[in-house]
Amino acid sequence: MTDEKVIEIIDTSLANEFELDIEMMVPDALLYEDLGLDSLDRVDTVILLEQAFKFKIREEEEIRKIRTLGDIHVFVINKIHNLRETEGDIT
Amino acid sequence: MTSRNARGTGYRVRRAELWRFVCSVPMNMSAYPLIVIWTLVCILCFPIVFSFWRIVLGWEGDRTMRLFVWLYGRGWLVIMSPFVRFKRMGFDKRNISPPYIIVVNHRSFFDFWCMALLPFSNVAAALRSWPFKMFWFAPFMRLARYLDVESLGWTGCLSSGAEILKKSGVVLFFPEGHRSRDGKLQRFYFGPFKLSEETGINILPLCLTGTDVLLPPGHWWMMPAKICLKALTPIDPKDFGRTLSHITLQKHTKAMIAQGLEELRKA
Repeated sequence: MTDEKVIEIIDTSLANEFELDIEMMVPDALLYEDLGLDSLDRVDTVILLEQAFKFKIREEEEIRKIRTLGDIHVFVINKIHNLRETEGDIT
Repeated sequence: MTSRNARGTGYRVRRAELWRFVCSVPMNMSAYPLIVIWTLVCILCFPIVFSFWRIVLGWEGDRTMRLFVWLYGRGWLVIMSPFVRFKRMGFDKRNISPPYIIVVNHRSFFDFWCMALLPFSNVAAALRSWPFKMFWFAPFMRLARYLDVESLGWTGCLSSGAEILKKSGVVLFFPEGHRSRDGKLQRFYFGPFKLSEETGINILPLCLTGTDVLLPPGHWWMMPAKICLKALTPIDPKDFGRTLSHITLQKHTKAMIAQGLEELRKA
């Protein structure tokens, strides 16, 4: 899966679930201030991402540092790359 | 003729509104002081009664505390009853028996107090952080092991909720998170549905109406109201398969509650 595809999945999933305009889904968008999400939406975002990409991230400390949509993109892309590397090491 | 009927109806509506306002004056003058007195009495009596209950009957602390919260709520129902008509529908003991994950719509500060209408007392509420900042309630909420969903995070909520459900308790959610300002259902958070998916415990959807008339968001002046708490058919998460079941559960439950509210509105 390409990084562009990952970004598209993230933006579409969040826009659909939180009833957001897809035009609002820009990397600089602040989750609280610009997208109007709150702390419980943050929990739901984690559940959505776990569902969409089939990984577990709910206990990762990095999540607490996420402020913008771009931070989510970077976090998920890095997570996927790390998982690929780990799988590569095992095989 | 039609215009005369419309004028007559308008007059009757205005007269009923005026009468409700007149009734609300003694309501506010009496109910608020009585709630404060009832709260103080409960707080003062709590240590003795709680210790007695635990030592003599051997109940666990959290279970005992939840019973007392329910009894406190029953007292609130009595205080409000001269001005508020309470009605409970759909609770048939043959069909409704915990454990359950209760999901109910949210329109007023008093919604939680109305949960004293439930026929069972072992109810732990899952709430946002702000109610835990009310210092006069917070110790009791913590003793009852209510879930502070914002502080506990998903993992903490899941394990605490599962533990309560395992002991045949009920976990209560207001899945909208906030009180609705326009009476319409808002987006439902995933929490209760994920808990249901992971524990396999049924969801009991409830419809609550009339509390927005009693005390709408942003108001402090109470008005006489008719409050109805209706239980809908419990939902078994196993009926929704394994893949994305929490999302399907969320949508299905919201649709059921929306339909239930619409039926209550028409009735």
